[in-house]
Amino acid sequence: MVIYRDEYRLYDFGPHHPFSPVRLEMLVSLLKALGVWREPLAPGEATREDVLSVHSERLVKRVEAASRGERVPDLEHYGLATGDTPVFPGMDRAARILVGGTLEGARRILAGERRVLQLGGGLHHAQYDRASGFCVYNDLSVAIRHLTRAGLRVAYLDIDVHHGDGVQWIHYEEKEVLTLSLHESGRYLFPGTGHVHEIGRGEGLGRKLNLPLEPFTEDESYLEVFEALVPWALGAFRPDVLVVQAGADAHHQDPLADLLLTTRAYERIFRLILEYADAYTGGRVLITLGGGYSLDAAVRVWALLYHTVHGLPLPGALPEGWLRAWEARLGKPLTPTLHDPEAPYPEIPRRREIEKRNRLTLERLMELLRTHLIH
Amino acid sequence: MLVQDVMRFPVVTVEPGVTLEEAYRLLLQKGIRHLPVVEEGRLVGIITDRDIRLATSRLNPKGACPECAPVAEVMTKEVVTAHPLDPVEEAARVMRERKIGSLPVLEDGALVGIVTGIDLLDALLKLTGVTEPSGRLEVRLPDRVGELARLTGFLAGRGINIHSLLSYPEDGDRVRAVVRVNTLETHLLAEGLRQEGFEVLWPPKKPW
Ligand SMILES: [Zn+2]
Repeated sequence: MVIYRDEYRLYDFGPHHPFSPVRLEMLVSLLKALGVWREPLAPGEATREDVLSVHSERLVKRVEAASRGERVPDLEHYGLATGDTPVFPGMDRAARILVGGTLEGARRILAGERRVLQLGGGLHHAQYDRASGFCVYNDLSVAIRHLTRAGLRVAYLDIDVHHGDGVQWIHYEEKEVLTLSLHESGRYLFPGTGHVHEIGRGEGLGRKLNLPLEPFTEDESYLEVFEALVPWALGAFRPDVLVVQAGADAHHQDPLADLLLTTRAYERIFRLILEYADAYTGGRVLITLGGGYSLDAAVRVWALLYHTVHGLPLPGALPEGWLRAWEARLGKPLTPTLHDPEAPYPEIPRRREIEKRNRLTLERLMELLRTHLIH
Repeated sequence: MLVQDVMRFPVVTVEPGVTLEEAYRLLLQKGIRHLPVVEEGRLVGIITDRDIRLATSRLNPKGACPECAPVAEVMTKEVVTAHPLDPVEEAARVMRERKIGSLPVLEDGALVGIVTGIDLLDALLKLTGVTEPSGRLEVRLPDRVGELARLTGFLAGRGINIHSLLSYPEDGDRVRAVVRVNTLETHLLAEGLRQEGFEVLWPPKKPW
């Protein structure tokens, strides 16, 4: 099942901002041009109460005031009106529409649906008391809380190139939520967190997992650690449902980060996620989008995701008419095939060293977890 | 950042007549390692868990009796102290040079706090800005007037808030600046800085 409505595109920080609604417009038009678009379920907006299930009243009040165009002096303390997360008229509603989509996904899962793809959301940086990194409200946490309040154990998997800090901190002390984030190391990259030593606190101890990867990590190394860690953690935690933030910014074309995944790795990751869901959660999986700032790459990665979720055969070449139209509109050439070309970037000289360090990070994480086992 | 911003208070203290055993229990119970010794409101010494363990070890031929020896027998009497208005780096320097793990903080002769190595690590974390969601830029600058201003001016021009800015001298005539910035877009910033002629060490240029 796919959840989407055109109003997702109201979440718009302006024409020069990387978190662009054009990504969704391009994606939907591509799926239509490929003839695979099925009418999605249009969600309602999340209510203020829904948002307050994970955010502070004082943050929500400020978002509302800023949305109405009121002058609020302390917005920056709440992560708003910054270069990354500027305010715009109607921001509160636009954010609640995205939250509504992911929340609807959670409701559908509770109603018996298995695979739900939410073509939006994934605002994993938003924290209890603070907007951050393009994220106003945390749709993922609202959905997760809805699921745990219904008595489900939730495993959250975050493959966005940035650490899923907002979701992690919101559920940091909860025993019914496993968070698992693979990301480029926060030593330099935003938001600076996601160290292996962040493993939860109190009842959440041993249930928050982070695998920070070296810059310039490539397909093979990523898949190696992914396949070692994810099924192991899911097997130990035994969740009822898997929630996935499928950011596409670990792709090698992404302008904001340095992981070097190709579409081939993404195809494998998506297939594995569905396999893991079948093996560990009775097939129940809710997938959202997330970061992804190369239009060319993000749209192809998410088209791949759409096809994989529906079990559709993958197209080779992209529709000619669609390519021409978007190349004209963007004023630059686009990759003409769904997959990246073979060897799309030059060889990385430090490859072996990077693989070794990623393996070592995985070992350190698993070593730590042996003493705080996650059952 | 001053000592008063990072020191702990109130301070757990003992009197000189308390036995080593009692003092050790107190350390365990409070989860601390340093006990200032106070007599009639005056600081007269300091004792650590290590002092007690060394003094009472059965490997120590002149070992003290834990149940009967008073703290006064084992404590360090010449205590190095700090003032609440001392800069934290000065406290760090004294602790490093004297190889000690804590500084009782005195104001007008009264014990008002204590600073330990852990508190200084907290101070370091705060100074580096890692407690805020941020990205990190590392830039090498010529060691001369106006270079840092050029860097911060560039960031201000892009509307970027700086969470923290550390700079330290490199060999000879250069300075390394480490900036934590409130943005996901450190790559685009780095590119812009390079175009302006800055030597950006991180994030690295992708090799294509
Ligand atoms: Zn991201």
